[in-house]
Amino acid sequence: MTESAIAKPRRRTRLDAQFDRIRAREEAGLAKSRGGSRTLNKFLNNRLAVIGLIIFSVILLASLFAPLLTPYDPNKIGLRDMLQSPSWEHWFGTDRTGRDLFSRVLYGGRVSILVGLGSAIFAAIIGVLIGVYTGYVGGWLDTLAMRVSEIFMSFPQIILVLMLVSILGQSLVNLILIFTLTGWGGIYRMCRARMLSLREEEYVLALRSFGLSRPLIAYKHMLPNALGPIMVNITLSTAAFILQEAGLSFLGLGVPLSIPTWGNILNVAQDIRVLQTNWWIWLPVGTVISLFVLSVNFIGDGLRDATDPTQQG
Amino acid sequence: MQMKKLIALGLAALMSTTAISGATAQPINENPLSDPRVRQAIAYAIDMPTIAETIFEGAAVPAVGLLPDGPNKPTDLNPYAYDPDKARALLAEAGWDSSRELDVVYYYADQATADLMAALQAYLADVGITMNYRLLEGDIGSQISVVPDDPVNGPSKVTWDILYGARAALALQEYFNRYAYGLKPMIPNIPRMNELVTKVNGTVDPEVQREGYFEMEHIINENVYQIPLYYQQLYTYESDRLHRNDAPYGNEQYNYNWGVENWTIDPDANGAGILYTNAGPAQFFEVPWQNLGIWVHNKFAFDTVLEADPVLTPIGGEMAESYEVSEDGLTFSFTLKDGLTWHDGTPITADDMLWSIKTALKFPLTHPVLQSTLKKIDGAEAFVAGEAEELTGLSADGNTVTLKFTTLDPNVLLSFSQFAPLPAAQFEGVDPLNLQQAPFWQKPIGSGPFMIQDVVMNDYTTLVPFADYHKGAPKIEQIIARPSGDNDGNLLVNATAGKADFGYTKVAGDVPGLEGLDFMNVHPIDIPYTRMLWINQFPHPTN
Amino acid sequence: MLTYIIRRVLILIPMAFVICFLVYCGLELTPGDAVSHMINPDALGSMDPAQIEALRQSLGLGQPFYVRFWSWFSNLIQGNFGFSTNGGVPIANIIATRLPATLELASVALIFSTVIGCLLGILSALSRGSKADGALTVVGMLGVSIPEFFFGLVAILVFALNLGWFPVGGRSMPSYVTLWDRLPHLVLPSMVLSIMLTAGVMRYARSSMLDALSRDFIKTARSKGLPEWRVNLLHGFRVALTPVVVLIGFRLPVLIGGSVIIEQVFQWPGIGNEFISAVRSQDYPVVMTIALLSVMAVLVASLIVDVLTALIDPRVRLGE
Repeated sequence: MTESAIAKPRRRTRLDAQFDRIRAREEAGLAKSRGGSRTLNKFLNNRLAVIGLIIFSVILLASLFAPLLTPYDPNKIGLRDMLQSPSWEHWFGTDRTGRDLFSRVLYGGRVSILVGLGSAIFAAIIGVLIGVYTGYVGGWLDTLAMRVSEIFMSFPQIILVLMLVSILGQSLVNLILIFTLTGWGGIYRMCRARMLSLREEEYVLALRSFGLSRPLIAYKHMLPNALGPIMVNITLSTAAFILQEAGLSFLGLGVPLSIPTWGNILNVAQDIRVLQTNWWIWLPVGTVISLFVLSVNFIGDGLRDATDPTQQG
Repeated sequence: MQMKKLIALGLAALMSTTAISGATAQPINENPLSDPRVRQAIAYAIDMPTIAETIFEGAAVPAVGLLPDGPNKPTDLNPYAYDPDKARALLAEAGWDSSRELDVVYYYADQATADLMAALQAYLADVGITMNYRLLEGDIGSQISVVPDDPVNGPSKVTWDILYGARAALALQEYFNRYAYGLKPMIPNIPRMNELVTKVNGTVDPEVQREGYFEMEHIINENVYQIPLYYQQLYTYESDRLHRNDAPYGNEQYNYNWGVENWTIDPDANGAGILYTNAGPAQFFEVPWQNLGIWVHNKFAFDTVLEADPVLTPIGGEMAESYEVSEDGLTFSFTLKDGLTWHDGTPITADDMLWSIKTALKFPLTHPVLQSTLKKIDGAEAFVAGEAEELTGLSADGNTVTLKFTTLDPNVLLSFSQFAPLPAAQFEGVDPLNLQQAPFWQKPIGSGPFMIQDVVMNDYTTLVPFADYHKGAPKIEQIIARPSGDNDGNLLVNATAGKADFGYTKVAGDVPGLEGLDFMNVHPIDIPYTRMLWINQFPHPTN
Repeated sequence: MLTYIIRRVLILIPMAFVICFLVYCGLELTPGDAVSHMINPDALGSMDPAQIEALRQSLGLGQPFYVRFWSWFSNLIQGNFGFSTNGGVPIANIIATRLPATLELASVALIFSTVIGCLLGILSALSRGSKADGALTVVGMLGVSIPEFFFGLVAILVFALNLGWFPVGGRSMPSYVTLWDRLPHLVLPSMVLSIMLTAGVMRYARSSMLDALSRDFIKTARSKGLPEWRVNLLHGFRVALTPVVVLIGFRLPVLIGGSVIIEQVFQWPGIGNEFISAVRSQDYPVVMTIALLSVMAVLVASLIVDVLTALIDPRVRLGE
């Protein structure tokens, strides 16, 4: 693909200019391989992805090491200190019960990231387990899995999530379960499609002729070829799930309010008075959610560009 | 001699109190919450005045006792003023196991309640009690009000330890009626309370009722069967444009003489005298027998038989020209005013009254106070059971309707001051059980000062004056009701945008925002409504 | 082509049945039933259990599961959606009054986001690697990274309350006659919804345009000496269109999902709003009907997309 894009001698286009720049960098020795994986280098060359990775790491680490960063218990109230604006003492101010918002945002991040990342990983595990195997063996098992996924995917996700929330009830575990249930379809299909194209490859035929068992071929030898898109899918679903958690909290159907999450903190912005006068309650947490989701999306994009040779841009 | 007698009396009194607390100050079963000391400790651990001042921004009155302030409440109740040290001491005495985590549940979805839960959690943690809270969803009834098979020993069918709930009352008896035998999901039987509940429900004598209330309040206060947290006031809000013209402010959850036909409103920029209100119907109009006066559009559209004053004391007839209760209290009759019509112009007749009373008796969601009045009509039991075609105690003669009761009901007049008859002709073939499902409730035909004009469900409802209204045609040209209710963020949004000229809310969280609008006047009104903690004292499975 | 369509439709029918059944099962598992929602929890304490049971029976909630499912399903086949449990309103009426509102909101958002998204995406593709491209990518990403209800609330705060340009919510008022009267109500919700959607369309349009530009025939066109803009627009755009059509079809679930929350924020009396209140009040028939309709909408949309792509791009048809 890259080779075919080399410009023919004619009027200079932007593409030519770009390649000139690349050549200049090459000649200056800047574009030399730094060693290590090509994918990694490609990812690191994507400025947005790197920025994303930095933001992601900062927020993730800050949440993980929350107790080191803030002396406050996120659930410790101080009714006489309610609704204080940001100060040295309380960096993000305090909420309506006088809880320290900075510590709530940090501790809330733990739960929100757990919900987002956890659900995405579980969904990926289920999707990969089913998709890789059924895609490889085909037959009725494949048809069955396909139909089940079609049923799940024909629901607009929020409709399905809301129905499941009302069935299972509100809790952290249930929410992860629900996101997993509603989210596995996409990655399953991706895996299956990948397997369908891989299973006719010669190396697979060779493995089969050696008499390797089917799960072994599918999971050990074919799966690694699909890891790139799987990673992309996990990051993008993490972002989507974090947003959904916030949306459900808005509807009052998310994680129970006794557990601080980003969605639960932002939830009070529904009160127009808070929105108008207490900006420190919603602006920092709103920014953190948006930044985090943004960073995850950047990473996902970067990963896609780095791992998928057909997607350039 | 005199002195000795006094000392003896004092000693006896002292002995008796120690005897009482000695006898009760221990758990009655394996649930540590059945130990009154633990419950007292919880009561001492909560600093309600601070909570009221901060979380509720003053829109809550810390409660002492269940009943609202007034002549029916004893003044010597223990307020359980905030005292964490005492709470810790009581817990130590009771041998509280600090590893036990209390499961606290609530069913109000507003932010202030969530904040209150966070505060309770913190206060209890301070004295060494761990609690977690959760919002009940789905079938709330089965989770809070199912009673145990064995009302003495349990186990309870509810799984929580503490429930944050409320008691709203039209009649004061309602505060205590659940203490009768076998009606308490969470409190083991208390024999004396059974007698007292019967006592206050079986008399019309206010003195006897008061005696009963005093004793019940004392029993509950001393044993902390419930922890009353605060009295919720009701808040009426009105924009500067609205003029009540001396009409009184009353308990808006019910029907009272609010004189809406005399209200006026300043014309808006387009010269139209439109009153905006909220809580318009989202899918259907609710039968006005269920929550009586809670929906403002129903109050605009329906008149009641009798009229009550702002504190809901019956003061005269509304649709009734005159009414009479017999000397023994067992016969009640009223005569309709002449020439009353429904909004469609058809006359309101005694037949409409008979049909309405009979249907309300069978309609499952009829308000308990009204329901219990109607159930005492002679022959009601057989009628409801379907064994009798007619309700024998109910009859009409011309415009006069007569009800004969089998037993004395203290709230007959109160019930009829809240009872809005419906046009029987509109309900041909409707089963009273499915009354709410009748098409009528898409656009009801009422008898009140305003007629329902346009209904776009969940968007807006408009009402216009009923020209033939018997108290004179109302002066406001049009009422537009948007669907946002209380406890809905949109209420404040709409109010800020000038789309709520009148309304009322019980949600403390709505109040500071409404008060903050400079064109809005907010009036707090004392109503019998107490928010409280119920404590599950039965042994029970954990959730 | 026709057999292709027929085959696709035939697959739909058993799937629709299974979905109906699953939805019904799901609601069966929810704790409680409609009765407990008709009564205010504060009032529950003083209700007589016998009365509640009578009400439950009268609503047909006492019958066994399969009886209720079957009576509901057979009615459905005959085009009778049944009645809302809470108010007894025919569900067909509810849908009929709510659907136009949702369609209005959704179609404005769909059209707006598609047009703007395609334009920006193509612009971005043509100026690939430039600052503008980078900026558009970042803005697009931002658009999908902000929680939509939050975006909506801030929009209300700024444009409705502070600036007073638009009403705070709702769809109509008694004196309104034409769509023009309603327009101010439509602006905020549809724009917020559009912005959430535009980002996705833009990204998609950009990558499919890039894809198209790298095809051989574009190079041929270029080598023939056609002006750059003609190459881009006439050849590139047409090929890039196919994935965009697909995208519009697949946007539908996103659109439905987005409008559920946006309708809630802007008090928009549409299907999504109704769905939320039906879920909260466990009004089974309404929840089921709306869920079913949305699934059907998605299935039909994907069918249409398949047919359209087959029409636009002959290779798809031949591949079948």
